[in-house]
Amino acid sequence: MADQITEATELTRGAVEALSARFDEPAWVREARLRAFEAFERMSWPTTQDARWRRTDLSGLVPDRLRPFVEGAPGPLPAAVRMLRDQLGPTAGVLVQRDATTVSAHLDAGTAGSGVLFADMHAAVRDYPDLVQRYLMRLVRFDEGKFQALHAAVWASGTFVYVPAGVEAAVPLLALSWTDIADAAFFPHALVVAGPGSRVTVISASGVGTGTGRTLSVPVVELVAEDGAAIRHVVLSDWGRQAWEIGVVRAHVGRDAALHSLVVGLGGEVVKTDVESILAGPGASSEMLGLVFGDGRQHYDIHTLQDHAAPHTFSDLLYKTAVSDRAVSSFIGMIRVHPGAQKTNAFQSNRNLILSAGARAISDPKLEIMANDLRCTHGSATSRLNEEHLFYLMSRGLPRDEAVRMVVEGFFAELLDRVPLEPLRERLRGDIATRMAV
Amino acid sequence: MAVTNQLGIDLEKYKWGFREPENYVFKARRGLDARVVAEISAMKDESDWMRAYRLHAYEHYTQRPMPTWGADLASIDFDNIFYYIKPTDKQANSWEELPAEIKRTYDKLGIPEAERKFLSGVSAQYESEVVYHNLKAEWEKLGVIFVDTDTALREHPDLVRQYFGTVVPPEDNKLAALNSAVWSGGSFVYVPEGVHVDIPLQAYFRINAQNMGQFERTLIICEPGSYVHYVEGCTAPIYTTDSLHTAVVEIIVKEGARCRYTTIQNWSTNVYNLVTKRAVAYRDATMEWIDGNLGSKITMKYPSVYMVEPGAKAEILSVAFAGKGQHQDPGGKVIHAAPHTQSVIVSKSISRDGGRAGYRGLVKIYEGAKGSRSAVRCDALILDDRSRSDTYPTMEIDEEDVSITHEATVSKVSDEQLFYLMSRGVKADEAMNMIVRGFVEPIVKELPLEYAVELNRLIELEMEGSVG
Repeated sequence: MADQITEATELTRGAVEALSARFDEPAWVREARLRAFEAFERMSWPTTQDARWRRTDLSGLVPDRLRPFVEGAPGPLPAAVRMLRDQLGPTAGVLVQRDATTVSAHLDAGTAGSGVLFADMHAAVRDYPDLVQRYLMRLVRFDEGKFQALHAAVWASGTFVYVPAGVEAAVPLLALSWTDIADAAFFPHALVVAGPGSRVTVISASGVGTGTGRTLSVPVVELVAEDGAAIRHVVLSDWGRQAWEIGVVRAHVGRDAALHSLVVGLGGEVVKTDVESILAGPGASSEMLGLVFGDGRQHYDIHTLQDHAAPHTFSDLLYKTAVSDRAVSSFIGMIRVHPGAQKTNAFQSNRNLILSAGARAISDPKLEIMANDLRCTHGSATSRLNEEHLFYLMSRGLPRDEAVRMVVEGFFAELLDRVPLEPLRERLRGDIATRMAV
Repeated sequence: MAVTNQLGIDLEKYKWGFREPENYVFKARRGLDARVVAEISAMKDESDWMRAYRLHAYEHYTQRPMPTWGADLASIDFDNIFYYIKPTDKQANSWEELPAEIKRTYDKLGIPEAERKFLSGVSAQYESEVVYHNLKAEWEKLGVIFVDTDTALREHPDLVRQYFGTVVPPEDNKLAALNSAVWSGGSFVYVPEGVHVDIPLQAYFRINAQNMGQFERTLIICEPGSYVHYVEGCTAPIYTTDSLHTAVVEIIVKEGARCRYTTIQNWSTNVYNLVTKRAVAYRDATMEWIDGNLGSKITMKYPSVYMVEPGAKAEILSVAFAGKGQHQDPGGKVIHAAPHTQSVIVSKSISRDGGRAGYRGLVKIYEGAKGSRSAVRCDALILDDRSRSDTYPTMEIDEEDVSITHEATVSKVSDEQLFYLMSRGVKADEAMNMIVRGFVEPIVKELPLEYAVELNRLIELEMEGSVG
C-alpha cells in the first residue's frame, strides 16, 4: 500500500486517523483513539502547580516537536539489545520491537500449545479483538490526564499477553524494545491478562540503541490478575540520557490473586513513572519493588499507590534509590485504605542513598486510611555512605572506590535478594557495578 | 473613667489593653476592605508604619489565592466575618444561649462559674488580675516584657518594629496576609539575655483581661542564653460565634537560648483554625513546639522551626484528636539551613466517630547543612471504621552528609490489649481510655501538670461512648 504512513510528524486528528488506517483497525479502536484525541486537545499540559507534577517541570519538553509515530527500519539487532536478550534467558517467548515496529516474535510451541497468547498489540487487536476489547484502556482510562489521553490516541506497538485459566507459564516472556531515532515519541501499550488461577512472568526491557537526541516515551502497562492468578512483572528501562519517559504501570489484583512487581530505573534524562496496585478482591496481595540508580543530571519522579479496596488484602513495597553527581530522585508513595477494607496489612519502605554532595533525594510517603482494623506502616530513610562501614572495609586493604562499590551493592542486595529470577539479578548487579565504575 | 484597685493599678487600662478615643465610634460590620483595615489601625491609634504594613498586607491578601491543598476551606465565607470586634462586644448574650456540649464540658472540667462565663464569651470580665499582677512584678524585676501585642506596639515600639513580620512576612501565605492586615491582641514576650523564666508564661492569665482574639499576633524574642516556656490558650473549650481563627506566631530564639511553646487548642467545633506558627533558631538554640489539637471544625497548623545557625535544635510534639465532623490537619516543618542541626518530630493522632486526623509535615535539609539529623515518627489510632487517618510527610534532602528517618504506623486498639485489661477487671470503656492515654503519654508528659490533667480529662470526655 503506497499511501501507508511510515511516520507522523504532527499531532493532528488526521495523524490519528492515518495511524489507525495504517494498522487497519476496527471501528471501535479508531473511535476510541479519536475520542481520546479530543480529550487530549481539551486538556492543558500539566504544570508544577498540579499536585502530581510538583517535582517534574515539563517546560523543558516540547512534545509538539516530537514525531508521534515512527516506523522502525529492519536491520540486525544492536549488540546491546542482543546481549540483554541473551542475559535474561532462558525465556519461553521473545518479542522484539524497534521504534514502533515489531521486528521479531517468538513463542515456544509448548507454551503456545497451552493457550498462552503473546503478541504485538496490533496483531492482538487483529487476531483476538474480543479479548483485547474487554481489557484495553479499562484500567488506565484516557480521561485521567493529558498524557493518558495522548497515549490512548496514538498508542503504537507494545505487548499483549493472555494466559488462560489455570495455565502456569513458568518461564518468563520477554518483551524487548529499543529505539535509535532522535526527536521521536513512543507510545507502547502493554496489556497482561492472567486468567483465574493462572501464573505468568513478563519482563519488559526497553532502551536506546546507538542514536542520540531527545526522545519521549509514554508507555502504559495494564496488568490484570484475575481471581487466584499470579503475575510477576518486571520493567527494566535503560533509556539514553536525552530520553524522557512518562509512564503508568497499573495492576488490578483480584480475589486471592498476587502481583509481584519490580520496576528498575537506570537511564533517561527525566523519568516520571506511576506504579499502582489496586487490591480489588479479598485476599489479594501485591509486592512492589523498585530499584533506581541516578547519576549525572538524571531526574526520577516515582509515584506509587497501594490501593486497598477490599478486606484482607496485603501489600508490601520496597523502593531503593541511589543518587550521585547531581541526580535528583523523588519518591511519592501512597497507601490508601478504602472504607470497609478491614484486616488490611500494608507496608511501605523507601530507602535513599546519597553518594555525592550535589545529589538530592525527596521522599514523600503518605497514608490515607479510612478503615480501622488494620496494620499500616511506612518508613523512609535517607543517608549518605556510612563512613564507618567504609573505614572497616578500607582497613582490610580495599581501596576506597572498591569499598564504596561494596557498600552500594550491599544497599541494593536486600532488594535483589527478593527477585527470584537469577539471570535478571545478575544483570542488575552488573548494571550497578557499571554505574559505580564510571 | 479609670478604675483603680488597691495596688493602684489602672484596671480599665489593662482590661482592654488600650484606651478608646472617646469621640470615635467604630461600627462593627461584616466583610473586609481597605477601609476596615484603616479603621482598625485608627481605632488603635497606631503609628504610620503599622497602618502602611496592614494596608500592604491587605493588598497582598486580596491577590493571593486560597491554598488548594489540605483541608476543604471552600465553605469559609470571608464576607460574612467580623474582622474587628471591640473587646466589649460579647460573643454570646447569655449563658442559656451557649451550645449544650460547651456547658457540659465546663461542668466536666470543673471550671468555676465566673471563669466559664468569661471563656464562653458571656462575660468579658474575669478577675484574675491579682494573680497576673503578682507574677508580672516578678517578671519585671528580671526585665521580662509580657504584654499584649497592642500594648507592646505602644510601649515598646522600636522593639516591635525591629522584629514584627520578620519571621512570618505578610507575603508568606494568604492567611498570614489576612492576619497581618487585621491582627489584634496576642502576646508580646521579650526575655533579656541570660534570663531564665522559671514559671511558664501563661497567656491564660493575661487574656482574661481582654477578649480572646480571632486574629491574634504573638511575637516572642529570646535573647542569647535565655529560657522561657510560653503557654497559649487553655484546655477549656473556647466558644465563639465567629467561624475563623487565623493567628500568626513569630518566635526568635537567639544563640544558646531555649523556647518552649505549648498550645492545647479546644475551639468549638464551628471554628476554622488556620494558624501560621514559625520560629527561627540561631546557634545552639533550641525551639520546642508542643501542639495539641482537640477542638475546631478544621485545623490547619504546621508549627515550623528554621534552624539557621550551627547547632540549632528543633522539637515538635503534636497530638490531634478528631471526633464527629472534625478534620484535624496539623503537623510541623523543620528547615535545616545550617550544619549540625537536629530535629525531632513526634505526632500522635486519634480519630473516631467519623473524624479525620493526621499529620502533614516537611523536613527540608539545604545543601551544606552537613551532619544534620532528623527523625520523624507518626502514629495514628483509628477507633472505628467510619473515621480516617492521613499521613503526609515530605522530605527534601539536598545534602549527603545527613541522617534522616521517618516512620509511621496506623493501627486500631488491639483486641488483645482490651482483653488483657478487661481480664484484670477493668471495664471496657475504662480499658479503652487507658489505652488511648497510653498512646498519647509521650506528649502529655511534656505538658505542665495542670494541662496534662486537663488534657487527660478532655480525652476521656471525647472518648465517652466509644465502646459498645
